[in-house]
Amino acid sequence: MNTNSANKKLVSIICLVAGIALALIALVQDITGSGASWRGAALIIGAVAILLGLYLFPTLKYHRRIINFIFVFPLLFTFGVTVIIPLCLGVFYSFSDWNGIKMTQMVGISNYTSMFKDPAFLWSVLITILFVVFNMILVNVVAFLLALLCTQKMKGVSFFRAAYFLPNLIGGIVLGYVWQFVFNNVLIKFTNNISLLASTGSAFACIIVVYIWQYAGYIMLIYVTGLTQVPKDVLEASQIDGANAVTTLFKIKIPMIAATITICTFLTLTSAFKQFDVNMALTNGAGAVTGFMGKFLTNGTQMLALNIYNTAISKNSYALGQAKAILFFVLLALVSIIQVSISNKKEVEM
Amino acid sequence: MKRKVARVLLTTAAVVAVTAGLGAFASAEGESIRLVNGKIEIDSQLKKLAEMYKEETGVEVVIESMGGGIDIQGTLKGYYQGDNMPDIFVNGGATDFANWEGLLVDMSDQEWASDTDAAYVNEEGTIGFPYTTEAVGLAYNADILEKAGIDPATLTSPDAIKAAFETIDGMKADLGIDAVVGYCAEVVNLYWSTGNHVFANYIDGGLDRDDTTYIDLLNDGGQLDMDRFTKFAEFVGLLNQYSDPALLVSGTYDQQILNFASGKYAFVTQGSWIGATMTSTDAEAYEAAGSFKCGMIPYAFEDGMDTILTNSPSWWAVYKDGNVEAAEAFLQWLTTDAAQEVLVMEAGFVSPFKSCAYVANDPFAQTITDYQSAGKTSAWHWLNMKEGLAQNATGQVFGMYAQGQLDAAGFADAMQSVIADYYAN
Repeated sequence: MNTNSANKKLVSIICLVAGIALALIALVQDITGSGASWRGAALIIGAVAILLGLYLFPTLKYHRRIINFIFVFPLLFTFGVTVIIPLCLGVFYSFSDWNGIKMTQMVGISNYTSMFKDPAFLWSVLITILFVVFNMILVNVVAFLLALLCTQKMKGVSFFRAAYFLPNLIGGIVLGYVWQFVFNNVLIKFTNNISLLASTGSAFACIIVVYIWQYAGYIMLIYVTGLTQVPKDVLEASQIDGANAVTTLFKIKIPMIAATITICTFLTLTSAFKQFDVNMALTNGAGAVTGFMGKFLTNGTQMLALNIYNTAISKNSYALGQAKAILFFVLLALVSIIQVSISNKKEVEM
Repeated sequence: MKRKVARVLLTTAAVVAVTAGLGAFASAEGESIRLVNGKIEIDSQLKKLAEMYKEETGVEVVIESMGGGIDIQGTLKGYYQGDNMPDIFVNGGATDFANWEGLLVDMSDQEWASDTDAAYVNEEGTIGFPYTTEAVGLAYNADILEKAGIDPATLTSPDAIKAAFETIDGMKADLGIDAVVGYCAEVVNLYWSTGNHVFANYIDGGLDRDDTTYIDLLNDGGQLDMDRFTKFAEFVGLLNQYSDPALLVSGTYDQQILNFASGKYAFVTQGSWIGATMTSTDAEAYEAAGSFKCGMIPYAFEDGMDTILTNSPSWWAVYKDGNVEAAEAFLQWLTTDAAQEVLVMEAGFVSPFKSCAYVANDPFAQTITDYQSAGKTSAWHWLNMKEGLAQNATGQVFGMYAQGQLDAAGFADAMQSVIADYYAN
């Protein structure tokens, strides 16, 4: 027993030391820009050796913790590499003059101050908020009505459910181009050869319509689930008491699915906030606005996410785009926190 | 038992990692270079060249074509961050080259550098390899002009062009055409045509190749010469007036080219690159319309403008930390006779190299050569405009003018204010 333990300790320490050494060598090679193609393999072997050393480490007290760590490590590592590190880098870059290739200096908060002086950006914020408000209401109303229809007892209900849900399966970019064709080549026959996408107001309305078309089916499914879970006995009791359909709807069904309504409201809110693909494919932000803050704007239908993308990619100001993205992140985080706290309260009440 | 299983798993993982590493090492041994090409339409021709090159020298050339709306510079930046840079990649102009300052190879010592005037040269040296010449002018259908009795050589003043438009407009039924001009100012997908290529005529129309007056003015805080621009605005008004209304506000590039190839327009506001589409995608319609001859007239918005704008539309640059020698050798090989034959005869390029004797079978190749040999060309200084100007600012204003929301004076004012704001932010 003793020799076994001693052996184990030796193997474990050898593994740990060799692993750390290998990983360090690989990292140093990477930082110094060496072209050696084995450094990737060295890093992986090093990491595996460290984990093996930890696993074999003869301790009773911490063994369970070590095992837990080894199991959680892959996910934590991936999360760190793909989320945490880019987030930190992003915050860092937003204070610099980074152009996607290199940075020459830190510029303090000037990216943040300059974006609030840019009327085009403020316009994007404004119409994003408008878009969110419109969609939160319209998508939910349309989806709820569809859900009511799709929970009636009639033939072919499942066909309609599938049909309304189908647009949600089409990618936003494809959908944007399909509808662009509809607006530019089909509906134009009824609108005097001027496309609905040509003026800012109607183009904005077009985006809302397309978005509802895409998203209402998805929200409808959630409402359908909510509505089918309303207890039958309550409904029957109300029928016996003589409640008609409208009373049942407002006094029984809607109060019973209050939690679903909260969920759907926040789902539409966050997804409308992040609207990007339909916006890009349908109008690409085009649209003229005269006299907003005394300026002539050319990004009439450009919402926040698209504005960030265009700032970074097409205007080649990566750092400014990054600063806008941080603001976007903070806004969305606030919305999510509010959402979580409200849904928690609701759950307690129910 | 469980421990044994875990041990076996971990060992296997280690072995796999080592093998993968060695595999990567082995495959890196054969010499190869990677080229990022920005013209997706010549992908197959470049791959053919790569094969020829491999047979001749054994060096493998990997062609990676991008296009169709992909943001090439954005992708390249991703490659740079991911340590995955190609050895040769495409750059579109001063702003692109400025991105890569200090990272490109000066190729002025290469043989081809003395064989062309079209290389991209700045204070860092000769950093861009030219591969074709493209022209921006008002393209016309020579058959229709002939039938209407108009000599394109006389169309070098706004009055002459206006008179010609009127004549053709009056004979539309006889000529069997839909409209005089196929001009499209759609803002979502065709902003590049108006905002870059049509606008380019304001910047360079009628000027010497090295005259940078208006681009300098523009890059100095986004100023326009209102006198010149007003005349330009009136000319664009003429295009609006005589364009196909079905195309003008909400048409597509495909419609525009197809209709021109089918002989439905006398003029089209696109450059020489449409020749490739006319003889491939739209070949059927083009043949049905009699494979008419094509030419170009200047966008003569001032009297006596007689130049079209020709330039290398983009350049290939060699990355400093890549396989420089092999990349330079490949570029040099591209200027040899065998390679030029493929580029000119199959890809339809107008060679920027003096030693090249081939003339493409492209509808516009002849007219470009004619203008070049007569010395009647201006440059493409619009390539030096602030990045994204057409997409984010000017394309929209062209669209509003086409919709009739602005008149010529309003167009000029709106343009001035939009550009100044764009340069300020």
